[in-house]
Amino acid sequence: MSIPSQDNAINAGSLTRILIYTLLIFFVIYYLLPLWVMVSNSLKTLDEIRGGDMLAPPKDITFEPWRQAWSQTQIGVEATGLKPYFFNSIIMVVPAVFLSTFLGALNGYVMTKWEFPGVNLIFGLMLLACFIPFQIVLIPMARILGMLGLAGTLGGLIMVHTVYGLGFTTLFFRNYYAAFPTELVRAAQIDGASFFQVFWRILIPSSGPIIVVTIIWQFTNVWNDFLFGASFSSYDSTPITVALNNLVNSSTGVKEYNVHFAGAILTALPTLIVYIVSGRYFVRGLMAGAVKG
Amino acid sequence: MASLTIDQLTKSFGAVEVLKGIDLDIEDGGFLVLVGPSGCGKSTLLNCIAGLEKTTSGEIRIGDRNVEGLHPSKRDIAMVFQSYALYPNMTVRGNISFGMEIRGVDKAEQEKAIQEVADILQIGNLLDRKPSQLSGGQRQRVAMGRALVRHPQVFLFDEPLSNLDAKLRVDMRTEIKRLHRRMGTTIVYVTHDQIEALTLATKIAVLEAGYLQQAGSPDEIYNDPSNMFVADFMGSPSMNLIDGLLLERDGGLEIEIEGYGDTKISLPAPDTAEMRGFVGKPIVFGIRPEAMTDPDGADRTSPQIETRDCFIEVSQPAGSDTFALTPLGGKECIARLRADARIELGAFAPISFNMTKAVFFDPSTTNRIR
Ligand SMILES: Nc1ncnc2c1ncn2[C@@H]1O[C@H](COP(=O)(O)OP(=O)(O)OP(=O)(O)O)[C@@H](O)[C@H]1O
Ligand SMILES: [Mg+2]
Repeated sequence: MSIPSQDNAINAGSLTRILIYTLLIFFVIYYLLPLWVMVSNSLKTLDEIRGGDMLAPPKDITFEPWRQAWSQTQIGVEATGLKPYFFNSIIMVVPAVFLSTFLGALNGYVMTKWEFPGVNLIFGLMLLACFIPFQIVLIPMARILGMLGLAGTLGGLIMVHTVYGLGFTTLFFRNYYAAFPTELVRAAQIDGASFFQVFWRILIPSSGPIIVVTIIWQFTNVWNDFLFGASFSSYDSTPITVALNNLVNSSTGVKEYNVHFAGAILTALPTLIVYIVSGRYFVRGLMAGAVKG
Repeated sequence: MASLTIDQLTKSFGAVEVLKGIDLDIEDGGFLVLVGPSGCGKSTLLNCIAGLEKTTSGEIRIGDRNVEGLHPSKRDIAMVFQSYALYPNMTVRGNISFGMEIRGVDKAEQEKAIQEVADILQIGNLLDRKPSQLSGGQRQRVAMGRALVRHPQVFLFDEPLSNLDAKLRVDMRTEIKRLHRRMGTTIVYVTHDQIEALTLATKIAVLEAGYLQQAGSPDEIYNDPSNMFVADFMGSPSMNLIDGLLLERDGGLEIEIEGYGDTKISLPAPDTAEMRGFVGKPIVFGIRPEAMTDPDGADRTSPQIETRDCFIEVSQPAGSDTFALTPLGGKECIARLRADARIELGAFAPISFNMTKAVFFDPSTTNRIR
């Protein structure tokens, strides 16, 4: 689909143009400033940070804080750096994101194309799951994890995040599939496709945008989660967000701000990368239901 | 190939009864067209035949097989949808072969079948395109190709041409007719278009509000409607339904109709036992516009032409004909005159009624009086 050139849509004067650009540049600086502070200070020595200006660029760049944060600094009792926790998070996030996305897609498919009595009630209840505050489910969830023998394990965290994400993923897919022509499903049925063949061969290939939206949404939420991580993990299943908190809040010794900055960037890096790589699909996916393409 | 029989079929969505006892059949190789106003249940009936909707009661037989409870893919049918429903993620080739692939037909045979339908429908050069890269008419062909490749017992078409422009619709109509003649497969076809119904069908079924109003050959439906709904629904412009009074005069029957102002015209009515029951009562006189003509344009083979003076209010030239509006029975009636007939507006002109084409209805039940 191509769109006619917008160049001559509005004939803005050059003054307006200057104003718009000034404003935009101002906001760019405003939003980039925290990132600048984090990056520049993570490259300074501790002495330089103590003695100097937060906004100044580093005088002699050192990567030592990054090395420290990644593999050497003391977190909890051991001096392992954030590395093991980073991998804990990866092991938790990847299955949780794929499971919740897959189940959300399946729910959306069943709820729109295989309507059964009470489907709206069930959908309503699932929507409710999107709005329940995390704190309310903590104690019942702890009980259930205990009964399943998953307390304090990464498997338990995967389950918690999958269940908690299901409300949103179902909402995304249900709304997307509601606009998907039912005639296509019927045509495939006449062609002899089974329940899952229709799902895999007809719906999933047309779900690209919404899959990307759901994955980004779930990835950032699960990766950034602190409360469940803090509540349901033990020392060998701690996700990186909790480890970062332990690093920054440790009360012993000197505060190594440069290491903290580097650790914070390391923790945020995966979500940043996900956004940068697939952000444009995110916008496209959010728009997908609005206009028929 | 097989016949199709529908027996006392009902279908409800929750408390709403959409089909209220349909009895209908079409012989092997027949072309059944379902027509009716929007929302009357045509698509629902088609979906019931396809097995896409579960019937509430009644029976559907394809050939001599009761298809109750049979999955759509096991009914030996193929369907063409109004929106074509082409799989957007597959090429034309993929769309056509999807069903065969699911059924596990081997590759070489698939390719042969694809080539065969591509030849019939002349879509060979489109096989590697995606549906989004096709024009409306091409999508239509692909949708038909997907149906043809199954070699089904019965084809089901749900308004397949309604998304096409007028010219393409005529072309595709001809093509469907040719295909039907060539394959001889039984077809059930839903349409809104009168002309489509009359040109394609070997049998037309008129539905209204979930009831079957009449089923019969196009000629029967057009010339011999069994009630006022069918008479009014089929044909364009539709049949004139004129209120009149049935009288006995000189031993024969006559229908008296109010004309312009205080004038009245009377026309002879057939003298049958059933008609006699309506003497002295109001009756509806139905006559098609083409049976009301200028005297020179009247059908010379008809044994009963009655010419009366009618007041012409408006005339609408339509190229090949001129339509004239005249008040009869309190309504504007349409007469179809030759294009070069000389008529004067706002004056009386002789109009010839071809009474062999006239039909009569009971206004209280709307049923035909024979
Ligand atoms: N899933 C459904 N639930 C409830 N009512 C339905 C459902 N599907 C159809 N109906 C109702 O059944 C009636 C018949 O619908 P159907 O689609 O068969 O009409 P149609 O004759 O094909 O109309 P059109 O010519 O507009 O396509 C309509 O009144 C419609 O509102
Ligand atoms: Mg319909």
